[in-house]
Amino acid sequence: MKMLTCSRLSSYLLDSSKRLGRWLVLLLIIFAGAVQAQGFDPKKVQAESDRSSAKWLQASELPAEASGSDTTKKKSGLVNSAVNWFRNTNLPADLQIHGFASQAYITTSDNDVFGNSDNGGSFGLTEAGLNASIRPLPRLQISAQVLSRRAGKGNSGMPRLDYAFLDYRLYSHEVNQFGIRIGRLKNPFGFYNDTRDVAFTRPGILLPQSIYFDRTRNLGLSGDSVQLYGETAVANIGTVSTQFGVWWPIVSDKDTELSILGALPRGQLNREVSFIGRGIFETNDKRLRLGISGIWLNTSYDPEYKSNDPVGPGSFQFTPIYFSAQYNAERWSLTSEYAIRHLKFDNNFGLTNDGKSRNPINGMNVLGESYYFQGEYRFTPKWEGIVRYDAYYADRSNRDGSGFRIPYAHFAKDIMVGIRWNVTPQFMLRAEYHHVNGTGWLSKLDNNPAKEGPLSQHWDLYAIQASYRF
Amino acid sequence: MSQPQSLIQFSRCCLLKHKVCFFYALLICLWCVNAEVWADNHYEIVTYPGVSEKVLSVNSLRSIFSMHLKTWPDGTKIRVFVLPDDDPLHQSVSKEKINVFPYQLRAIWDRLVFSGTGQAPIKVNSSEEMLAKVASTPGAIGYLWRADINENVNVLEIK
Repeated sequence: MKMLTCSRLSSYLLDSSKRLGRWLVLLLIIFAGAVQAQGFDPKKVQAESDRSSAKWLQASELPAEASGSDTTKKKSGLVNSAVNWFRNTNLPADLQIHGFASQAYITTSDNDVFGNSDNGGSFGLTEAGLNASIRPLPRLQISAQVLSRRAGKGNSGMPRLDYAFLDYRLYSHEVNQFGIRIGRLKNPFGFYNDTRDVAFTRPGILLPQSIYFDRTRNLGLSGDSVQLYGETAVANIGTVSTQFGVWWPIVSDKDTELSILGALPRGQLNREVSFIGRGIFETNDKRLRLGISGIWLNTSYDPEYKSNDPVGPGSFQFTPIYFSAQYNAERWSLTSEYAIRHLKFDNNFGLTNDGKSRNPINGMNVLGESYYFQGEYRFTPKWEGIVRYDAYYADRSNRDGSGFRIPYAHFAKDIMVGIRWNVTPQFMLRAEYHHVNGTGWLSKLDNNPAKEGPLSQHWDLYAIQASYRF
Repeated sequence: MSQPQSLIQFSRCCLLKHKVCFFYALLICLWCVNAEVWADNHYEIVTYPGVSEKVLSVNSLRSIFSMHLKTWPDGTKIRVFVLPDDDPLHQSVSKEKINVFPYQLRAIWDRLVFSGTGQAPIKVNSSEEMLAKVASTPGAIGYLWRADINENVNVLEIK
């Protein structure tokens, strides 16, 4: 009975969340229209002289006056003055507030991505963030961001502290900078990880999953860290910027635990001291960008002794190295990243969850490999196109997964095309199509073979997304 | 006999006239292009009058507009003002003075803002607002058409 009400409740919640999603999209579309209309009008006004624009404004206010409603006039005046105040007042200590909100609709031919996407599609991916930064001293900046992400079973939309840290500039002379950051920081790896949740900054609705797994994103996203950073000129051709940090990763979530341990454990993963670093060389004109990043992640498993957890206190190391390259011309950009991922488990993981056999992850030592090639073309500043080929291999010495029960769960090859429309500088719409061979990077939480049957090797994904930022 | 000769002369004259016309047209075109180029360079990087810097290297300028260099040599805050991304002056300054495409500047600022490692420049909507803000904000830097510059701001020389 209890179960029944529970399932009813959850289905109700699911339903209402779906409805909420639909409403959100509708709202966003209406908002887009409004923003576009607004964006259009000032240009018209600009074409005329200031005086005539004032006249035009007065004229537009006339009907309100004619109807005799004094309050509407006051109200618009109030809103205007509030906006003007925000723009004109020198906010204390250079306070800046920015944010974003995105809603995607995803439908797949088979397999689930962020919700039940293979059954009529889902509004399962919602991202929103709000950040603030101040500079109380010329050399000191304090920043924090709260992030909410609703994406499949791994992310409920519960807001979390994404980053919050102090940044002190120790040395600064022309192009040469050196400083320290302390607090919760975004993990610097690859070109896109630092801002992976902001749709405006990433190429496509889905990032190349072979490098930027959404499955273990909480692990890769940010951590409590002390980082040193520097930027220095190289001859007169460019700059090298580096970041290096000691880091305590965030490992206590189901998706991460499931991905690392292969089954949901009774105990939990512990975070241990880890290291992260990145260096990026950029030419002065930012046309060529070359990067290398590395992570040395340590975690260990803490068994639940009370219930005689059969899984033992093993430890796990993840040490990927990423190579990144990008060329930017006025109209087009080419980007490619390559990762070699070393995963190493020690022999102390004991038995499997049900206690019946030896845990297969014991002593596992594999080299995974990922890479993608991507081309972007800006037809106009408003319209952009993108194509990408993205490949993931769980084990580079066994790329086709032969010998495993489900070979195609050990790789994924994804061809993607997409289009982006920057409706206004604040509002963006985009659509993309993926054809994927393999299920290597799919979330195990969202795709439970016990409940939904086996996954399909060849599958298609269509997605659209609306995003707003300020 | 004389008729065909005069015809030839006439046609030559015509051809010559055409050539001259063509030449003039070309000259005018070139002159226009030249004028346009000249107009494009008709802007300056300006600062708040209290900023003691008078000369700045291109690299420092790029570092400032990339929001990486945050303080003037005397330790005071730099405050960067920019026009919208699609403004012709912003595009000229971005491509010619800073030598970076406007979309790349936007990408750099977005990376800073949404990773918390920096701040965005302050956006103004017109040259008048740019002039007013740069003239009144300590540590301010921006850019203006030469025609809009007055004695309330300093003009920076870029080497």
